[in-house]
Amino acid sequence: MNRRLRALLRLFAVQGTWNYERMLGVGMGYAAEPLLEDLKAVDPVRHGEAVVRSAEFFNCHPNLAGLALGATARAEYEAVPGPQIVRLRTALCSPLGSIGDQLFWAGLVPALVGVTLVAIVLGAGWWAIAGFLLIYNSIRLWTSIWSLQTGMASGMRVGAAIGSSWLPRAVEWVAPAAGFALGLALPLVAVWYLRDFGWSPAIGAAGVAVAGIALTRWFGPALTSLRFAIMAMVLLLLFRRVGL
Amino acid sequence: MNEFSPHVVIPLLLWGTLVGLDLVSVPQAMISRPVVAGTVAGWLVGDLEAGLRVGALFELFALDVLPAGAVRYPDYGPATISAVALGAGTPWELGLGVSAALGLVLAVLGGWSLQVVRRWNARAIQRRAAALAAGESSAIRWLQYGAVLRDALRGFTLTLLGLVLAATITDSVRLDRQTAVAFTLVAIGSALAAAASGTFRSSGRGPRLKWLVAGLAVGTVLAVLA
Repeated sequence: MNRRLRALLRLFAVQGTWNYERMLGVGMGYAAEPLLEDLKAVDPVRHGEAVVRSAEFFNCHPNLAGLALGATARAEYEAVPGPQIVRLRTALCSPLGSIGDQLFWAGLVPALVGVTLVAIVLGAGWWAIAGFLLIYNSIRLWTSIWSLQTGMASGMRVGAAIGSSWLPRAVEWVAPAAGFALGLALPLVAVWYLRDFGWSPAIGAAGVAVAGIALTRWFGPALTSLRFAIMAMVLLLLFRRVGL
Repeated sequence: MNEFSPHVVIPLLLWGTLVGLDLVSVPQAMISRPVVAGTVAGWLVGDLEAGLRVGALFELFALDVLPAGAVRYPDYGPATISAVALGAGTPWELGLGVSAALGLVLAVLGGWSLQVVRRWNARAIQRRAAALAAGESSAIRWLQYGAVLRDALRGFTLTLLGLVLAATITDSVRLDRQTAVAFTLVAIGSALAAAASGTFRSSGRGPRLKWLVAGLAVGTVLAVLA
């Protein structure tokens, strides 16, 4: 199998060894291994140093990790001094994390989830789920291929390549789409769940929702939505037991 | 679910393991999103409606989570599968609340188990620190395989625990209709609160907020007309 393809496939497991010390580091080392194989024959000492560097601390969005992987692999072949490669990796952590989080976790995923929920409410069933998986994974696969290719092509100039790429524009474009899709989904999903209960129970559920929003906002991170839900259920159980 | 037979439990365990792996380790194909995990679980237990209803409910909770950086978050995947197994075969108006209660507790446990696996990964790396410092590729490979195996075990164990609890609740808990409906309404209200909180928080005050409000307006009109 082509070495670049092996590296690409390994990028799908880049978070496999996620931990609080090296974060994605070891996963990056695992993905870098096929790319660095040729260096072994040319310069075994450099290869050993490159393997060590590849598995050191690193963190970014997993779908954009290919940019850092490709850029550092190329830099190793170009015999760029080791400390410079380490600085490049460090410098890429924040921008790749920030852009990736905005693009995928805060943008594309909520947008597609919103559309999927609307489709389910409208009766699409399985098709909604299949569409969600197909669209997300197509975009993700394409992004991963593009990231690795761009990283390999630009090496130490990867920062400029990212700045002039489609990524910053996509972030601007996907955020409104996510907002609209989720805004569209929320009332439709609420009615989908509550229309069979009648007015009084629906108003009761809406009251729980308003209390949840207010209390989680008031208490901040100390009271997450999940904790609020569990507390509300425990309270309900207690009230029912005392006959309220 | 009325019957926890091997031909249903084994596929659910396999699905729960894959879903657990997908959340962080591999391949992050979004099969761990509750709406996907729940729908497939519903199909596996023969109640697609339960899968969609439970999956969508937990998806609303998951909208409150932004898995950025090193943030700690609940694991809704295996939790949703167990909740679907519990709610299947029961009218959703009666089963959704109890399923949600089980799923939410499991989601908390799932989030905690993620931290445990991450600490184990760190310890494994410390044990192989010398090999890593020497640039041994095989050490990196074995660390990776070991970590993925640990996460697979985490997903499997979480799903197994969820199914055992679901079977226990099915056999031993009897709620009157009024309490079951009240549970469902509290679950729906809480899920809507979670989704609204997460959505508004991630919208900030920029253009995204305007689009969110526009979406809410269109969605409200459609909901009234439907």
